[in-house]
Amino acid sequence: MLNAILMMTVVAALMGLILGIAGKVFYVQPDEREEAVTAMLPGYNCGGCGFPGCSGLAAALVNKELDTVICKPCKADMKAKIVEYLANTPGPDGTTIKVKA
Amino acid sequence: MAELFSLAITAILINNIILTKFFGMCPFLGVSKKTSSAVGMGVAVIFVIMGASIITYFLYHLVLVPLEITYMQLITFILVIASFVQFTEMFIKKFSPALYKSLGIYLPLITTNCAVLYVAQDNITQSYNFIEMLVNSFSVPFGFLMILYIFSCIRERLDLATTPNAWKGNPIALVTAALMALAFSGFAGLV
Repeated sequence: MLNAILMMTVVAALMGLILGIAGKVFYVQPDEREEAVTAMLPGYNCGGCGFPGCSGLAAALVNKELDTVICKPCKADMKAKIVEYLANTPGPDGTTIKVKA
Repeated sequence: MAELFSLAITAILINNIILTKFFGMCPFLGVSKKTSSAVGMGVAVIFVIMGASIITYFLYHLVLVPLEITYMQLITFILVIASFVQFTEMFIKKFSPALYKSLGIYLPLITTNCAVLYVAQDNITQSYNFIEMLVNSFSVPFGFLMILYIFSCIRERLDLATTPNAWKGNPIALVTAALMALAFSGFAGLV
């Protein structure tokens, strides 16, 4: 019984250690613009754009899958803010994104 | 040598993991729509099964047997497999974002791919030695990759074929899978 508990603890600790190191080694820089655009969207998660929630639309915009902010509840000034943000903020590769309001 | 060869043929064709044993059906139907993601999934499964089998084999024979706690076999194997899948996911995310995206939810779901646990358990219950274990844990997922590739090729063709509306998508894919299983039953008794 004690052996089993000790063995599980040791194995789990080892696996955790390996995963922790792997997490550091294989770290992928997330695109900060996704979060910023998500924050600028209304946050209703209405699904009117056809993407799963506001973060889905933000990801599509940042990954250049869309060239228009197709958010329905967005007012014109909110859309303009997103367009301006994406046009002026370079991503990790140094390029900016042009979208229409 | 001849024994190892027949072991490999048995694992790949006769006791094919998908069409004879019916393990790993979830990725078989889920990621077989595109050839490229099917091959990516197959290679990821080969990597996970090889790695997890080697670790669990040594864990069983060097830790569980000497400590006489072989009843912990199942839970330790699941722990090892889950960690290994997590590792694979990080690896693919770093080096192939496109593959990571096309595999989607099915990548973390390799954890629950029963094929992985099946191979790890099979290596123990068949009491294979190290070489036989290596051959078995390569051949089984290789059979998986082969079937996944063939099936994805058929499905790509099926998309262009005229299928009755009610049969489009998964229904015709399941019929195809059944016909493939029937065809593969012809390999029974080969070795």
